[in-house]
Amino acid sequence: MIFENIGFYLREALLSFKRNLLMYTASIMSVTVIFIIVGIFLIVSLNLDFLLKDLESQFEIVIYLKDNISSAELSNLKNDIASREGVKEVTYISKEEAFQRLLKNFEEYKDIFEVIEGNPLPASLEVKANDPGMIESIATEIGKMKGVEEVEYGKGFLEKWLNLTTFLHWGGIAITLLLILASILIISNIVKITVYARRNEIEIMSLMGATRWFIKWPFLIGGFLQGLIAAVIALVVLYEAYFVIVDQVRQSIPFLPLISDKMELLPVGLVIILVGCIVGFLGSMISVGKYISE
Amino acid sequence: MIRMFHVDKIYPNRIVALKDINVHIKKGEFVFLVGPTGAGKSTFLKLIYRGTVPTKGQVIIDGINISRLKPKYVPYLRRNIGIVFQDFKLLYDRTVYENIAFGLKAIGATNFEIKEQVKKVLNLVGLEHKKKTKPHLLSGGEQQKLCIARAIANEPMILLTDEPTGNLDPDTSWEIMQLLFHINIRGTTIIMASHDKLMVDRAKKRVIRLDQGHIIEDNPRGIY
Repeated sequence: MIFENIGFYLREALLSFKRNLLMYTASIMSVTVIFIIVGIFLIVSLNLDFLLKDLESQFEIVIYLKDNISSAELSNLKNDIASREGVKEVTYISKEEAFQRLLKNFEEYKDIFEVIEGNPLPASLEVKANDPGMIESIATEIGKMKGVEEVEYGKGFLEKWLNLTTFLHWGGIAITLLLILASILIISNIVKITVYARRNEIEIMSLMGATRWFIKWPFLIGGFLQGLIAAVIALVVLYEAYFVIVDQVRQSIPFLPLISDKMELLPVGLVIILVGCIVGFLGSMISVGKYISE
Repeated sequence: MIRMFHVDKIYPNRIVALKDINVHIKKGEFVFLVGPTGAGKSTFLKLIYRGTVPTKGQVIIDGINISRLKPKYVPYLRRNIGIVFQDFKLLYDRTVYENIAFGLKAIGATNFEIKEQVKKVLNLVGLEHKKKTKPHLLSGGEQQKLCIARAIANEPMILLTDEPTGNLDPDTSWEIMQLLFHINIRGTTIIMASHDKLMVDRAKKRVIRLDQGHIIEDNPRGIY
C-alpha cells in the first residue's frame, strides 16, 4: 500500500510543507538547534574518549623485584605476566637503568647521588594493561608472585579516575536522551498543529472511505522529512564549525590530542541522521495517532 | 438495503437523539427525512455511515450489522456511501477537478480511473467547464453540485444528503433536486434530511418524520 501510493503521500507531505512553510521552518530550526547540541555532546564525548584513551595508555603497574632474583626466575616471571589476560606489554628496567633514569630526572641533585654508595634502587618490570579497569586485579595477582618485592599502580587515583570517566559517560548519554526526547516533543507538537490545520481534508478522506494508514502516511512522511532536514543542517553546521575550532585549539594548545580525521567523526553524522529520521517519524506518529483514531 | 431495529442513540451527555427507531429503506428508494432541528435527522444519517454507533438495537446496511463492524472495515463500508453536507466541506485551495480527484485517490483509484470518473461526474452535474476553478469562485448552487459530484464519483449504493438545499434559492434548489432525482433513477438509494417544505411537497416521495428522536410518521408519498 505504501509503495503503491508513495508519490501521492510525498506530494501531500510537500504540499503541507508549502502551505505551512513558516511553521515547518520554525520547527526545523528548533530541532536543528537541539541536534546541534546533541552533536556537540557526541563530539565532545568522542574527543574526551580519545583524550582518556591517550592518558590511560600511560597508566602502568610497576613491579619492584627482589635483589636476589635469578635470571631464570626473572625470565619466568616476565613470561608469566606477559601471558596474562589484559596485559599489553611488559618492560624490564634493570637496577642500572633505574639509577640512570634517576640521575637524568634529577640532574641538579647530582652531588647528592655521588655521596650514595652503590645502587639502592631495585630492578623492576613495567606492565601496561589493555584496559585501566583491569589494572587492580592484575596488580593484586602479581603481588603474590615469587621474586616480587612490591607492586605499585596508583591505587586511590585509579579508582577516582574510573569513577569520573563512568560518570562522564553516563551523564552524556542521559543528557543526549533528554535532548532527543525534547526534539520528539517539538516535532509532535508541530505535526499536531498541521493535523489540526488539515482536519477538513482528514474528515473528507475518512468519510470517503480512506483507510487510517492512507490518511496517516503523508503526516508521517512530513515528520520524517522534518527530522531528516534538521539533522542534515545540524551536521553541516557541526562539521564546518568543528574543524575551524580544532585548528584554533591546535594553535593555542598544540599538545592536546583531538580528533582531526573526518572519517572518525562519521559515527556522529550517522547517529544524528538516524536519530533525526526516527525522531521525526516518532514525533508525528504520536500526534497523528491521537488525532486520527478511526 | 437499510434496516434499523429498535435503535436508540443516547449521547454521553445523556441527550436522547433517537428512540426505538424501526425502519426499512429499500434499494433505489428516495426518502426525505423531515422534522424540526434537534429531531435526530443528522444522527439518523450518522448511524448509516457509522459516524456513530447505536446505544441499543441494530443497524443493518446491505446485510452488514454496522455495530459489530470492526473499525478497520469502516472505510470499506463508507466506499459504498456518498455523503453531501449542507456546509459543503470542500477543499478551497484545490480546484474543482482536484476536489473530486482527492476523494477518489483516497480510496485507491488509479490515475486513469480518476480521470475518467471525474470527467463523467462533472458532465453529469454540469460543471465540466469549471474544472480548473477554485470552489470559492463558484456560486452556492455550483458548490453544492460539486459536493454531489464528489459524493457520487465512487458510484456508491447509498447517497446521504444533509440539507443540500438549505442555503439555496428555490430555483437552484429545484435544480439540485432534479440532479438528485436523476442520480436516484440510475439506482442509487437517496436519503435526504431537509427543512425545505417546498421541495418535499413538490417531490412527492417517501417522507419519514422525526420528532424528539421518534418516528412519528412514515408516508410513502408524503408532504412536509
